[in-house]
Amino acid sequence: MLRTQQPRFQGLDPGHRACQGCGQALAARLTLEAAGPDILLANATGCLEVFTTAWPESAWRVPYLHSVFANAAAVAAGMEAALKAQGKDVKVIALAGDGGTFDIGFQALSGMLERGHDVLFVCYDNEAYMNTGVQRSGSTPHAASTTTSPAGVARMGKRHLKKDILAIIAAHHIPYAATASVAYPADLRKKVRRALQVAGPSFLQVHSPCPLGWGHGSELSIEIARLAVQTGLFPLIELERGALVGAMPIRQIHPVTDYLKPQSRFRHLFAGDPRAREELAHLQALADHNIEAYGLRGEMPDGLDSEGADTVRRGGLRSA
Amino acid sequence: MPIMTPGAFAYPGTSLAFKTGGWRTARPVHRWVPAPCHAGCPAGEDPCGYVGLVAEGNIKGAWERLVASNPLPAVTGRVCDHPCESACHRGSYDSPIAIHNVERWLGDEAAREAWEYPLPPLPAGAKTVAVVGAGPGGLSCAYHLRRLGIKATVIDRLPLAGGTLRTALPGYRLPREVLDRELERLMATVSFLPHTSLGRDVALEELLHDYAAVFLAPGRQQPHAWDVDGRVPRDLHAALPLLEEWVAFGKVPEIHSAVVVGGGNSAIDMARVLARTGAKVHLVTHDVRPAPGVPRAVAMKAAPRDIQQAEEEGVVLHLEHAIHHLILRGEKVVGVELVRVKKLARDDGHYEIVPFEGTETVLHVDQVIPAVGQKVAPEGMESLLAARGFFAVDDAGRIPGHDGLFAGGDARVGAWGTVSGAVGDGRRAALAIEAYLSGQPHGLERHPEPIQFSGLNLNYFEHAPRGEEVLLPPDGRVGTAEIAAGLSGQEVALEVARCLSCGTCMACDNCWTVCPDQAVLKMQSPAGMRYLTDYDYCKGCGLCAHECPVGFIAMVEESS
Ligand SMILES: Cc1cc2nc3c(=O)[nH]c(=O)nc-3n(C[C@H](O)[C@H](O)[C@H](O)COP(=O)(O)OP(=O)(O)OC[C@H]3O[C@@H](n4cnc5c(N)ncnc54)[C@H](O)[C@@H]3O)c2cc1C
Ligand SMILES: Cc1ncc(C[n+]2csc(CCOP(=O)(O)OP(=O)(O)O)c2C)c(N)n1
Ligand code: SF4
Ligand code: SF4
Repeated sequence: MLRTQQPRFQGLDPGHRACQGCGQALAARLTLEAAGPDILLANATGCLEVFTTAWPESAWRVPYLHSVFANAAAVAAGMEAALKAQGKDVKVIALAGDGGTFDIGFQALSGMLERGHDVLFVCYDNEAYMNTGVQRSGSTPHAASTTTSPAGVARMGKRHLKKDILAIIAAHHIPYAATASVAYPADLRKKVRRALQVAGPSFLQVHSPCPLGWGHGSELSIEIARLAVQTGLFPLIELERGALVGAMPIRQIHPVTDYLKPQSRFRHLFAGDPRAREELAHLQALADHNIEAYGLRGEMPDGLDSEGADTVRRGGLRSA
Repeated sequence: MPIMTPGAFAYPGTSLAFKTGGWRTARPVHRWVPAPCHAGCPAGEDPCGYVGLVAEGNIKGAWERLVASNPLPAVTGRVCDHPCESACHRGSYDSPIAIHNVERWLGDEAAREAWEYPLPPLPAGAKTVAVVGAGPGGLSCAYHLRRLGIKATVIDRLPLAGGTLRTALPGYRLPREVLDRELERLMATVSFLPHTSLGRDVALEELLHDYAAVFLAPGRQQPHAWDVDGRVPRDLHAALPLLEEWVAFGKVPEIHSAVVVGGGNSAIDMARVLARTGAKVHLVTHDVRPAPGVPRAVAMKAAPRDIQQAEEEGVVLHLEHAIHHLILRGEKVVGVELVRVKKLARDDGHYEIVPFEGTETVLHVDQVIPAVGQKVAPEGMESLLAARGFFAVDDAGRIPGHDGLFAGGDARVGAWGTVSGAVGDGRRAALAIEAYLSGQPHGLERHPEPIQFSGLNLNYFEHAPRGEEVLLPPDGRVGTAEIAAGLSGQEVALEVARCLSCGTCMACDNCWTVCPDQAVLKMQSPAGMRYLTDYDYCKGCGLCAHECPVGFIAMVEESS
């Protein structure tokens, strides 16, 4: 059967209940492809856990443990310690949404990093609590409308900023931390492999669009993720021991409106509201700040990081 | 409890039991769309196809794909004005693929390797068709007939095949050895009667009686009459005979300075040949330089490349000018008066040449050489030629009202006037002749519209400079030394890697990579369909279609 003969490891089977075009499902599939098969997973409550484990089925083809919402990092740390005690050299990966990372899962995460467990923590950042119906999280970007930060008379969506989680992770001085995006699969897989190679804790934040929560067509998940990178709103960077060691230059910098407009969570910014002008300028300023702070401007007319750019080639099986 | 070994394929308990295909409202389907280069090639070549095969390292397959439409790639790779490259979508991204150089390299590679055309055996009792004219049009028709299992006998009044390619195309653009090599292979597939002139040696009625059908491709051999207000210098030479003389014998009469009139290939080559003999040469044309967006009717017919090289060689262009008066001493030219003109579109779409009073200038020259076009030499075909002296044919090359008679190439009304145009005419006529001989109705080739530039996803490509071939420096261009060096094998490899594969799957794996549901499966077969959508699980999100770099996947509404 063709499905059993695919020339790559498949860690996440179809039949899972993710929405059409789910960025998180794609991100998890890509992560497993690069990491598997010799890994163990601990997964916090959230969409990923719910859509992959409809009883009595599992979409996972590697050992998988469902933790609770808050403690994926603590469970993963325990698994790692147990494996070590048994003398087994198997990597453990913790998976969590942004709620399970930035907010309720944070203290467990911080502790795991601080204790130096050999665990890769992957945060699938879809910028809200999607599984319970699109509530704002510490990761929701400024001005995005969610059910708990609705745009209206009182405010233009979320008042606060998206938490700079990577800066907080950096303060733990762990061996490796990076951001990645479903729009750059080769870059994502490369970062997964790199993270698993280091001894000690590592962290990945993967930008994963949610067609339902962000309000865009399912076919646009990658396009939107790509625009987040190309506007400078979601820089793709790598840190070692807390210091910046790599940033993917942007080939062609887009204005933030290219990213915001196709998403209905930012619809109120384009509805003629006089407050929107300032919000749009604010978001542009945040992007400009990233571009400057991380040096994202490609030097050449088509500057790009040959490691990171996801160009395709005839004949396929691209590797990075 | 089922035990799931890491990486093993554990069906029991996996979500594979749950078929999400039912969620779909639209399904992704693979859909080939012609590339713009394919749509743009008068010979019917599909560069996207053979460039892709070169990129895969299948050089012989690429050549075979190429000669499935054009038997003369080493020729067209050198002399074609390559409308394929003007159409190439890469031109809207950075610069077009140097298709002509891939074509040329394949043609030369085939000669080096002595590849033979892949031809089917002739069926027993194969019919024979007569072809008049051994230029690219006639030869293409004969070759394509042979591919279709029909024999062809080609007649030409000249001793050797090649038509205008042999008689008038200068060796600095098309070396004789290249033409000979290419024709040797082709002539082995057809029978050829040289020194046989329609009208003089054989009548059309005889051909129609002796052969199953007749294809007429006599080209345009007879220069149009030319004068200025009824005045003609006594020692007038038209360009074509002079060029033919130079091509055959390497000589032209001694001329110190000349005005060549016209903007086509004959005009440009005449000017360049004279410049090679040391003459001061001016070229006067009503037209402007061909460029993207310039209507065909007002653009010089010569290729931009040749116009530019003529200038490098010292030819002075007078664009949008006409000869107003001949300045004669007795019947001999001593100069011309030029006037600025413009071709203006009239309401009926035709163009009118309007001279502007007060813009006259004088050139002192001792020859005026018209290169203002030729018409069919009518002997033996008078009854078939339409009003302006050409064959009126339908899109398949049939002469309406004359069963079994077909025509094409330069000799038809509305001809492309190029080698690739003649090759395409020959191929289409061969298809129509096959249908005629088998009594089948003949539909015309219909291709879907080529893929739009906006149908590509350019995020997956990188900028890369176009491969430019080395040219002889202008002062090194003497005699028939070939000017353009072509690209090397390595340069060709870089060039084909630039191809965007518009509308044709290039097996990049992207759909396989981006499906969140692992519903795209990769097949191991090297040829044919390389990805399969597993509709049991495909939710119809459309990601694969949206992200396909080449526009090969379409989302089609599910019928409920
Ligand atoms: C100087 C010059 C430069 C050119 N440069 C280019 C170029 O760079 N690129 C390009 O694409 N095109 C170029 N062309 C145009 C190109 O050569 C023609 O479009 C092409 O050759 C037409 O092919 P054909 O088969 O229709 O006719 P031809 O090539 O003209 O062949 C017609 C053949 O029919 C034979 N014939 C005619 N009447 C009879 C008869 N009664 N009996 C028997 N045989 C007969 C002739 O002897 C001749 O061999 C150029 C043309 C000229 C004149
Ligand atoms: C302690 C606790 N509080 C609340 C919940 C309800 N709950 C389940 S999933 C979830 C949101 C998950 O959000 P996130 O971590 O961002 O993942 P996503 O669903 O967006 O992928 C919440 C609030 C819970 N399971 N446990
Ligand atoms: S994404 Fe790549 S592999 Fe898939 S259909 Fe398009 S060109 Fe072919
Ligand atoms: S990406 Fe997968 S699920 Fe989405 S339409 Fe294509 S095959 Fe179907």
